[in-house]
Amino acid sequence: MTEWLGIALVIVTGLAGGLAVGGGFVAFIVVLDIIPRLAQITHSGKRIAWLEASVICGVIYWTLADFNDWSWYAYPPGTAVVGLFCGIFVGMLAAALTEVLNVLPILAKRLRLFNALKWLLLAMVLGKICGSLFDWLVYQSI
Amino acid sequence: MQDGRAPILYIRLRKQVRLPPGRPVLLGHVAQVIVDPEYEQAVRTIELMRPGAGEQFVLVDMLAIVNAVRQRYPDMEIECYGEPHALIELAGTARVRQRRALLPIVLILLFIGSGLTIMNFHADVSMLEVHRKLYKLITGVDNPHPLILQVPYSLGLGAGMMIFFNRVFKKKLNEEPDPLEVEMYLYQENVRHYLVTEEYSRMNDSEGGRGR
Repeated sequence: MTEWLGIALVIVTGLAGGLAVGGGFVAFIVVLDIIPRLAQITHSGKRIAWLEASVICGVIYWTLADFNDWSWYAYPPGTAVVGLFCGIFVGMLAAALTEVLNVLPILAKRLRLFNALKWLLLAMVLGKICGSLFDWLVYQSI
Repeated sequence: MQDGRAPILYIRLRKQVRLPPGRPVLLGHVAQVIVDPEYEQAVRTIELMRPGAGEQFVLVDMLAIVNAVRQRYPDMEIECYGEPHALIELAGTARVRQRRALLPIVLILLFIGSGLTIMNFHADVSMLEVHRKLYKLITGVDNPHPLILQVPYSLGLGAGMMIFFNRVFKKKLNEEPDPLEVEMYLYQENVRHYLVTEEYSRMNDSEGGRGR
């Protein structure tokens, strides 16, 4: 009897934890306006449910793959494609965070650099690329 | 003007105007006007105010304009469209150019700063561990430094930011405003709104002082 109770408790705990984390994840993505942004770029405002579905499928598949070690046996260069997509996604996160924090508009306003906005942006983008490459090639390889 | 009817002056105030300091503000500076041609030149050069030295922002209110026009043409009818006030920024070109010199420093700041933040982010979320695990999930092989995953990741990082901001270097990908432009607009609108409110309350203060 207590065994069943324990199992039920574990199930409820797991479900509750999943709900909380899933809700948090969706809230995070929503706050950063990434899905609306992608829908705007691809003119798929009416098919936004598809974008949501692919986010949910991705979360579920990669969670299960992570927990159960569902390995593929692809050639190593295949990871380059996955890495590129990971990078694009994280890049969008980083860009959205910068935007939410309003750093660039305030900087441009204070310094009267409205016309230089694209250069500020470019400096940031190149900084991210170089920082990331430095991180992997030098800093974390030592 | 036909047979004795009062001439009508149509006015639309500009939202925000930048003028060089030290000169009187004329109606033509702050508004688009439509009026019978014989009045046009005179109406455009109606003087609204002389900003004091050292003032950076002044507000021209629609009522002040009505007042100024009435003094010159008592029987002119005034029709106002758009905003009931115009914010005037008094700034010479020299100051703008001066700030421009800061650009290289700001660019270096952003370059190094964003590099640091991405490294912080990677450390924060144990990105190396995740990359190792991801490499293992895809290839089935352990690799302590999956560079073949990480270098495209780094390039993708830049690509993702570009996509989000809708531009590749100087060229825009399409006509839509990008989030940064929208954010910039909202920020400027907020600042403008604040300045207008502030200038109004200052105007009310000085009027109240005179009344007492």
